Amino acid sequence: MKNKLILFLGLFLASSVVALAQSDDISPARKQAIDSLALEKVKDLSKYIAIIGSKETQFSEANRVMDRAEELFAPGAEMGVSSINSNEIAYYKVRRYFERLMALNYDRVNITWYDIQYISDLERQPDGRYVGVITIFQRFEGTSIETGMNYKDTTKKDITIYVEKKQTQIAGRTIEFWDVMLGDVRVTETSA
Amino acid sequence: MRITLITFAILFASISIVSAQGIGSGGTIQDDGRLAASTKQLNQFFRRFNAEESPDGNTRYYPGDSLYHNLALRKGFVQILFDNQTGSISPDLKNQFTQSLLSDSYPQYINFHREGWYSEVQAEFMFKGKREKATLILKIQPEGLGYEWVIDAVSFPPFKNLFNKPVGDEKDFLHPLSHELGFMNLRRAFQDSKMPESFTNSTFHPDYLTIFLYEMKQGNLKFLTVNDVKFHFFQVEGWYFEVSQFNRPGFNTGWLISNLVKLNPGDKKAIEKYIYDQK
Repeated sequence: MKNKLILFLGLFLASSVVALAQSDDISPARKQAIDSLALEKVKDLSKYIAIIGSKETQFSEANRVMDRAEELFAPGAEMGVSSINSNEIAYYKVRRYFERLMALNYDRVNITWYDIQYISDLERQPDGRYVGVITIFQRFEGTSIETGMNYKDTTKKDITIYVEKKQTQIAGRTIEFWDVMLGDVRVTETSA
Repeated sequence: MRITLITFAILFASISIVSAQGIGSGGTIQDDGRLAASTKQLNQFFRRFNAEESPDGNTRYYPGDSLYHNLALRKGFVQILFDNQTGSISPDLKNQFTQSLLSDSYPQYINFHREGWYSEVQAEFMFKGKREKATLILKIQPEGLGYEWVIDAVSFPPFKNLFNKPVGDEKDFLHPLSHELGFMNLRRAFQDSKMPESFTNSTFHPDYLTIFLYEMKQGNLKFLTVNDVKFHFFQVEGWYFEVSQFNRPGFNTGWLISNLVKLNPGDKKAIEKYIYDQK
């Protein structure tokens, strides 16, 4: 039983964290592993956004997905949104942003992603955590059957990632791993 | 130069064909090369400027990698880092700048952690019930275990005419024997005068950032939003350039060089004075 638990925990850690580390420096190989993990989290966020934005998603299910999506973020994370017509940034807490997305008055919502992304270097901040930014591009299409209105936009999303070395105890052994949390997101409407 | 540009354009266009790792596996849209060509982050501007990544941006080159700081790659990158659509930088000036960057004997690079670059942020605040614009100058500095952006200066129009020290006959003063009267005439400076700055020493210079922070702490100043961000670089010896973000259709987008000046003696000070806009 104990062995199974260790195996389970081991598999769990392997799927959600990056290789063990003794040093605080991030080598190119480790950076690549962290990038992959961060991209996984961004992919999860993208999937959640598509589910929350879809009119076919039941209210209770959308709320459940919002909870999951919120768990990807560090506490207090905000979305800063601006449009082509106004460069003023509107700030929303992550949960509020999802709620607004869910409340959009379109009968059909289609959210897709461009097959291009950019991952910055990781910079160390004063508290020792590392910070990076992943840039992705999203295409939004909303159709209202009643009015025949069709709204389309392409947004650039610059997503903060926090990378931190953490420790966990497994069967009395201390295991170190690198964990990734999402932070503030800057959403800019593009001319693409 | 034209051949290099064409090579890069073809390369970016072909990235859409080979690009594999999209965010969502099902409903992804294939980039036609425009997003790949765009300098999407300032981080990418640094990497491209120095030739520290592959043309598609997916591979980071580190010291020891064969293409790290590669001359041909860098030459191609530098050409696409200019605002080539609306900019007024002459081809000759671009050429001179590129040559000084790519010099065989003394190639020059930009560095995120090194002094000599900073950010100019246009922001809006509510000040005593009125919407006002402010320009903040931010710099990177080492702190604790890493680095942080810090506010170095602020230019705020409502403070502009706050201190207008008169000169010559207009300037009031404390006469040179005021000490014999135990400075009883300070009343003139602090009570009768509407320009107490008249009584400060000749090198007096108001610290607008301190006043700005004081007003904020008093609750008179509330942050509203950021309107615009650009960057100023003095890291390349003998040159100044400005980097701005271009959000427009096409291949020449993202963070690009919007201004370039070849520096003569004294120019750096004049440009910094202009950017900092401190009276």
